[in-house]
Amino acid sequence: MIDTALLNVAGVSRRRAGRTAVTDVSFSLNRGEVLGLLGVNGAGKSTTLQMLAGALKPDQGTIRLDGCDFVSEPGIARRLLGWLPESAPLWPELTVEEHLRAFAALRGASRGDARAASDRIMERLQLGELRRRLAGVLSQGQRQRLGLACALVHEPALLILDEPANALDPVQVGELRKLIRERAAAGTAVILSTHVLAEVTAVCDRVAILHEGRLRHDAPLGGETGGKALEATFFTIATGAAA
Amino acid sequence: MSLAAVTRLELRRLAVRPLAWALAALTIAWLAWTFVLGLGQFLGMQVKLAAVADAPGFTDLVAIPLLAELVKLSFLVVPLMTMSLLAGERRTGTLALLASTGLAPWRIVAGKYLAVLAWLGLWLLVTLAMPLVVGFSATADWGKLAAATLGTALILATLAAMGLACSAATAFPAIAAAMALIITLALWTIDRGAQAAGVSGGFLNWLTMATHLQNLLRGLVTSEDLIWFALAIALSLILATRRLGADRERQ
Repeated sequence: MIDTALLNVAGVSRRRAGRTAVTDVSFSLNRGEVLGLLGVNGAGKSTTLQMLAGALKPDQGTIRLDGCDFVSEPGIARRLLGWLPESAPLWPELTVEEHLRAFAALRGASRGDARAASDRIMERLQLGELRRRLAGVLSQGQRQRLGLACALVHEPALLILDEPANALDPVQVGELRKLIRERAAAGTAVILSTHVLAEVTAVCDRVAILHEGRLRHDAPLGGETGGKALEATFFTIATGAAA
Repeated sequence: MSLAAVTRLELRRLAVRPLAWALAALTIAWLAWTFVLGLGQFLGMQVKLAAVADAPGFTDLVAIPLLAELVKLSFLVVPLMTMSLLAGERRTGTLALLASTGLAPWRIVAGKYLAVLAWLGLWLLVTLAMPLVVGFSATADWGKLAAATLGTALILATLAAMGLACSAATAFPAIAAAMALIITLALWTIDRGAQAAGVSGGFLNWLTMATHLQNLLRGLVTSEDLIWFALAIALSLILATRRLGADRERQ
């Protein structure tokens, strides 16, 4: 399984602001698999995701993406990775369309391909009407959708989503879940970090729980009873009963 | 390819940023006023100058002072143009997003540097258009004007590289601008203390930015001056790249 996995994380640790944020985290992820990453605030989720996205370098351990060392060969990320950070950072002075074309071009697409890719993703995420609107005047939900579109514009093999449902209305949350399942069915591996257990049970195949920087649980979701079992496991770990 | 994408992205952002347009409009207006004043004075001195052998001409009295005025303005304009290039992106989180596209730090730095150079190049061209228009119908010293233009372009490129390095060092654009202003002014006048003590020449004189520009403004192009500018630009860009690369370890 390790050899065929798209993503292999082995013994990754990272200190931040003088304290250990992530300690010895290891897991793997196959194509088409959706992994829910859970944890209370400060558990190390965002640090882990930033390392997976190449924005932070691990102090220890290795991250291999499609068999290549992600840290020593960061160019792989351009082809394989899409990342939506927690606050969906954007350039306020650029339009929706300019963002999408820029992200496609930054990932190596030609001008024509970038235009086609941005048209495609705008249609899929219903951003067409907003194409000429500046990012600085978008609502929080629209910003989140644009951030998601930027992460998806080059059709990545690994999609990393940090709190993607933030500020989305219930209809948009339903659309997001549908989109995640759709991408997974097309072979994209997805890591979804969230505080909302219902979101994990709705779209994830597997769940990992981080607590105090350590991976305390990594198992498939168990069918119809998965939600309740997950809730029990999460609270047991979060309240320290399993420590 | 990705380097061009970074440059295009940055140029687009510069094109829609009010600060870039406001700075361009205000400084060009100021330079045009300076040019008209200089030209008026030059025309008024024509009779006196005709009586002097080897008298300074249009290039010395109008064109080069105009470029010197642009250099003066650039100490304020360039830090304002470069302050947000990396510091602003770091603050808003878009720098981490750029890094996640797999772009090497040097590509991000070089792409942004080329974009700001393009803006500064246009600024210089518009300024230069004023003496050029008159120069074609008067007797200009084209060699001296070319050397002075080269010197001005090198100063702009050096200030931009230093501004970028300062922008790479912090997450606060205002601090980046202040740092760039202080560092470039210090480098401009670093030999003043030595001169006051009666010491001229030596390392401090070589280190001073003004020394190398003055030669070029006089029409003197020497490899020593060109090397100084090349070193200053290269060192600043290397520092910016290294600081950006360290972001992944520092945060």
